[in-house]
Amino acid sequence: MKNYIVAFILLLFSTNVFAHDMTPTYPELEVSYLDGLLVTELEVFNKRNDVDYYEIAVFDEEWLPVPFVTSYKIIQLKYLERVRFSVYIRSTDRDRATYVCSKSRTRNDPAPSAVISSTICSKFRKDD
Amino acid sequence: MIKKLLLTTAFTMISVAANAVDVPINGTVQSRCVITTDTPGVFGNPNAYTLTTSASDGGVSPIVRFDVTLANAYYAQITTPTSFSSSPSLSETVTWTGSTSVSAVSDATGMAGYETGKTTFGQTTQYDLTATGSTWFTSSSVATNGGSKAFPGGSYTAVVQAICVAQ
Repeated sequence: MKNYIVAFILLLFSTNVFAHDMTPTYPELEVSYLDGLLVTELEVFNKRNDVDYYEIAVFDEEWLPVPFVTSYKIIQLKYLERVRFSVYIRSTDRDRATYVCSKSRTRNDPAPSAVISSTICSKFRKDD
Repeated sequence: MIKKLLLTTAFTMISVAANAVDVPINGTVQSRCVITTDTPGVFGNPNAYTLTTSASDGGVSPIVRFDVTLANAYYAQITTPTSFSSSPSLSETVTWTGSTSVSAVSDATGMAGYETGKTTFGQTTQYDLTATGSTWFTSSSVATNGGSKAFPGGSYTAVVQAICVAQ
């Protein structure tokens, strides 16, 4: 009960709410019109007014980078804007590619501060 | 007269029946993890060689909220800073300490085990998000300049990394 009250009070007084959202959680890699490449679509929603850019990256199970192509690896996304984008990876990397992530690019604040960088990683759906 | 009235009523009824169409409302529900910055952190400066987010020293601890709509589908990783992302030129080595804990939950029963079940490696703390709802995490961070030498004047920024990873 105490936690509910604390949560409610926090919600009530959270005047500056900055959120980062990416869907889907489990994107599916599909054959693209480009030979030897697979494609998936993702959407990022920027509700952080302290962030204007998000960086896209693809990783394997060990968090090592996997080569990929998007229109822009760093996406400019204004406050309350959402963007849909395609991520292409090589067919040969299908089993290796595990995570696709969007990471906020933080600004430097003139005040002494501990800013929060947010990263959301979706996991490629693997069909057995 | 009555015949005409009956006919008109019948036509009206048929016409109403013909116009009654189903209007679909479409929507998609997707599982998601949303990271929200509830409170950006601020360093306090209790003495010349320490920067800390501790409230008793004039700092503000950053608070980040994770909202998940699917249980057992994500884990949260929060890493406290190990360096400044921007600062004046520093000649001494800075020592960093930090920790993360659950500060509030939306589901006291389902999330009761989050704090005891957390895994810490280095400056990173990982939580399995086993229940749907919101969890607030607070991080503390202390930077101490080597040899108790004063931090040069200027602005200092460090980054707390909050990561939500699909399992």
